[in-house]
Amino acid sequence: MNDVLDQFFHSLGHLFDEAETCLTPYLPGQEFVALLAFAFYVLLIVSGGLVAVLARNLVRATLGLIVTFFGVAGMYLLLASPFLALMQLLIYVGAVCVLIFFAIMLTKNTSDGDEAKFPKISNLILAFLAALGPLVVAGPLIYQGTKAITTRKPVDSGANLGEGLLSIDLLPFELISIVLLVAMAGAVFLAYRPGSKEGSAAL
Amino acid sequence: MSPLTLFLLASLLLLSIGLIGLITRRTLVGLLISVELLLNGAGLAIVAAAKTASLTGALDIHGQLAALFVMGLAAAEATLVLAMVLVVQRRFGRSATETITVIKGSKEC
Repeated sequence: MNDVLDQFFHSLGHLFDEAETCLTPYLPGQEFVALLAFAFYVLLIVSGGLVAVLARNLVRATLGLIVTFFGVAGMYLLLASPFLALMQLLIYVGAVCVLIFFAIMLTKNTSDGDEAKFPKISNLILAFLAALGPLVVAGPLIYQGTKAITTRKPVDSGANLGEGLLSIDLLPFELISIVLLVAMAGAVFLAYRPGSKEGSAAL
Repeated sequence: MSPLTLFLLASLLLLSIGLIGLITRRTLVGLLISVELLLNGAGLAIVAAAKTASLTGALDIHGQLAALFVMGLAAAEATLVLAMVLVVQRRFGRSATETITVIKGSKEC
């Protein structure tokens, strides 16, 4: 059973390696495929993000957010980081989105709540202008600074990741476990109401 | 145009979209959704920069692990924000951002 799983993950890793080599112009046809995939992921990210930001119903906004998460996971695949792609789906789609759904449910943010009205057109235009700021400032800088870079580093495997967690990144690894514990304890402390019989049903 | 440029521009796009949300949303939950977009852009930029660049001396795994830590922080942040939204909802009855503009000790309190 273990051997079968090993082989499966091995072939999966090869698939991702191939996807990554596509991004370098070894063969013109491959590069085209990679660009096509990249364009598809960008489409997912932009459309999902716009739904997440502009939808008047928060449940729909969260669904848009999930689409964006899938797009970013695809980007990680193209970057030859299959482990990160899986973690993206597991943590963001599996945990964070469920938390957001809980928040929507507990605050009774229904379709006729505070978000129901579309923001004023003038506010919307100002928001788009503000979002244009980083694009206009950082976009050309990124283009200038990175257009000449073609060298790539050797790809690390999942085993390297595990070793890194236990050697060079040991301190952040331990710290983040403390952060998670403190966050959980803090959340319980904030939301806990001692002595109330109705509990959260009163919400 | 190098692959790194493409990936960094994509993360910049995520940043901009998240900013639009931060400005236009009226409820705390909506703000949480926008912040998640911003954090995703940050993770993507970190991984892409450590992958291709000779910009930084970082190893490939450094980038991936840093993105992993960003994800962990995002999970912790979402938990805490959920608790805070609950507290605000209990105290004020709604979770719009405009309801929590008064702090303790000010005139209207």
